Amino acid sequence: MANIDIGAILKNVEDQTKALAQKQIKEYTQQAVGDVKDLLERSKADLKRWVEELARGEMDKDEFESLVQGQIDVAEMRALKQAGLAEVQIESFVNGVIDIVVDAAFAAIP
Amino acid sequence: MPKENRSHFATNTIRFRNLIAISASLFLAACTLIAHYDQVAYEHATSAKVDTLALMDKATGSYDDHEKEVDALVRQLDKAYEYDRGRSLNKITIAQWNVLRDPNRNLVGGFLKMWKAKGSLSATFIAEKKLQIADAFDQIIALESGKQKPSEVKQ
Repeated sequence: MANIDIGAILKNVEDQTKALAQKQIKEYTQQAVGDVKDLLERSKADLKRWVEELARGEMDKDEFESLVQGQIDVAEMRALKQAGLAEVQIESFVNGVIDIVVDAAFAAIP
Repeated sequence: MPKENRSHFATNTIRFRNLIAISASLFLAACTLIAHYDQVAYEHATSAKVDTLALMDKATGSYDDHEKEVDALVRQLDKAYEYDRGRSLNKITIAQWNVLRDPNRNLVGGFLKMWKAKGSLSATFIAEKKLQIADAFDQIIALESGKQKPSEVKQ
């Protein structure tokens, strides 16, 4: 009867898990960093435009303040979205690891 | 292989299989962190976005003339919020709705409060605020879209 090579199973699981983690973390990090960069760039341009519109009398001080504070609220909503998407990524990763462990183990059992 | 070794091997195999089954069950029990995608919730958010931006265009006019439309929009937002509140593992989306709807903050709730307080708002402000509020709705919509679809969910 063939022996089960636990060491080989664990090595297989480790290699596949490492590859899965690298792929998912890379994708998520690129998306999150891109989101923050986009927010910063847009905020800078928005603030410049609002100051000019305020100076031209196209909006009043209350409206200007509402826009500035609103930008903070949007940033919070963006951060919440990223937190949610991170949870989705973790869930997807855990499911991927389960598949790897189960497939590797059953493939090794005669 | 001697009988004793075969018995030992069989016991180990059963133990190993049990271990895998238990581990998988534990993982499965622990791995649902966030609500899965919901088409109705997605439609609530996209529909509320369109209706909110359409009503905002009218804020150069008198609040009193549009009070009924404002009430209808607030009800629509409340319904979307309540629907999401009824879903389990959905606290992040609920937190997003809270920021968006809060009259003491500066997105939809704050915009409607300001409109009521001032009577009417400037066209420039409305145009800028629409961009901001559209972006805010997009955060709710993007999170919903990013949740696992039923076809992707492990049974």
